[in-house]
Amino acid sequence: MFDSAGVLSQPFMQRALLGGLLTGGLGGLLGSFAVLRQLSFFSDALGHSALLGVSIGILLGINPTLVLIPFAVLFALLINQLVERSKLPADALLNIVYSTSLAFAVVALSLVETYRGGIQQLLFGDILGIGWLDLGVIALLLLGAVLYLVLSMRAQVLLTLNSDFAGAFGVRANWHRIAFIVLLAVVVAVSIKAVGVLLISAFVVIPACAGRLLSRRFPVYVLSSALLGGGCALLGLLASGLTNLPSGPCVVIVQFSGFMLALLLRLIF
Amino acid sequence: MDKPVLRVENLSVSREGQLVVDGVNFELLSESDTALVGPNGAGKSSLVAAVLGLLPRQKGQVWVLGHPLGPAGELPHSVRSQIAYLPQTFALQGRFPLSVAEFVAFGFDPPGPRLPWGGRSKRHEAVLVALARTGSSNLGAKLLSELSGGELKRVLLAFCVVRPRKLLLLDEAQAGLDAPASEQFQELLLQLRRQEGWTVLQVSHDLEMVRRSCDQVLCLNRYLRCSGPPTQALSPKSLAELYGPNVVAYQHHHHV
Repeated sequence: MFDSAGVLSQPFMQRALLGGLLTGGLGGLLGSFAVLRQLSFFSDALGHSALLGVSIGILLGINPTLVLIPFAVLFALLINQLVERSKLPADALLNIVYSTSLAFAVVALSLVETYRGGIQQLLFGDILGIGWLDLGVIALLLLGAVLYLVLSMRAQVLLTLNSDFAGAFGVRANWHRIAFIVLLAVVVAVSIKAVGVLLISAFVVIPACAGRLLSRRFPVYVLSSALLGGGCALLGLLASGLTNLPSGPCVVIVQFSGFMLALLLRLIF
Repeated sequence: MDKPVLRVENLSVSREGQLVVDGVNFELLSESDTALVGPNGAGKSSLVAAVLGLLPRQKGQVWVLGHPLGPAGELPHSVRSQIAYLPQTFALQGRFPLSVAEFVAFGFDPPGPRLPWGGRSKRHEAVLVALARTGSSNLGAKLLSELSGGELKRVLLAFCVVRPRKLLLLDEAQAGLDAPASEQFQELLLQLRRQEGWTVLQVSHDLEMVRRSCDQVLCLNRYLRCSGPPTQALSPKSLAELYGPNVVAYQHHHHV
């Protein structure tokens, strides 16, 4: 039998639960806009490119966490420019970018003997290894994201609906588009440690899709996406802690169950 | 004499390296209704986009209510909030969780950062009035993505009318509507224009509608070929110059 009280009393588990709640909530919050703007695949490509950032950090002997955020931001801006200037379909371009960066990352990591053991954590996340500093960064990021999105709600919604329409009614469309992409890149980079590169896009996409199925009002949609993201992460981590199964996949399975439930409710009512 | 609501001077616009609007000059006087006509690819939408600051100008200047448009389309918030725009298409992909009333409420808010829950009752009141004035009172609780083409156009007009504005730009706003819906939209637009005192610039291919309801026509085919009242600008000779010799001007008569 599992000693659930014992597991929950461990500081690393408490940090993990808090980290999951914040990361999940952040993913759901940004995901609610990312999904409507058809940026789901973008977050996936960012996640995969983050692996390249980590491997560059390891190769250069720099702490990968320090490399990850600037790398993800730079990468996001570069992808944005590529999509705008090449006039190629965004999904095809993102596919090229993410598979190439994954290939480079794997080659780079194969050159580093000592890091082979950590690949599993990079791919699927290690939320139990989350520290107080990580928690502080995630909490600050969540606060910043909430402030930015609430204060610019009109701009975000109009931009999501129609970029020219938004611009005509005074929204600085380009500025907000880039600001959102940068924010998404930072969130992806910060969440990699907890969630892993392979599953990060699920944190952005699944709660938002479930929220979209359940909501008829925009604030309800945004709030439900964030709550579903946080709630599913919490439940998934509890399951992971109690069963000793990997944390990232446990959270995604709970998120998927939540999505199926939302779909069922939508079909019934 | 009143200052023009919109003044365009020597405006040139390029798209993907190609000059699509070349040295265009015109003015819109207060409460005038001006049509921008011309064949496909004549630069009409580019001109409207440049006037709104959505496309960069290659050269020339635009003044809105006496204020110069900045290089990246900057205008003071007080001026920008007096402009309304109806695009040619407003496609929504899939289920968009935004109700009509919520959408129209965003039209009430001025540009710039603000707390979304500020001034709720005033905004709610304005939204109800705007929906009623556009015959959309029954649509408030519907999702924007559940509307038909005609309903969506009416709701877009409600977005424009929810706060006082001076200038309305329409880029083939009737595109995609069938003949009766297009007629109804035009009637509603005319009624609101008179009530609100809007100055209108509308891109249109419906020359009969232009003849009936506009008081000035700008004929564009990269540069301004002709301008003036419809009787003059839409003469067979002007139309032949604008669209080519094979285009025949015709009039159809509406039964009231």
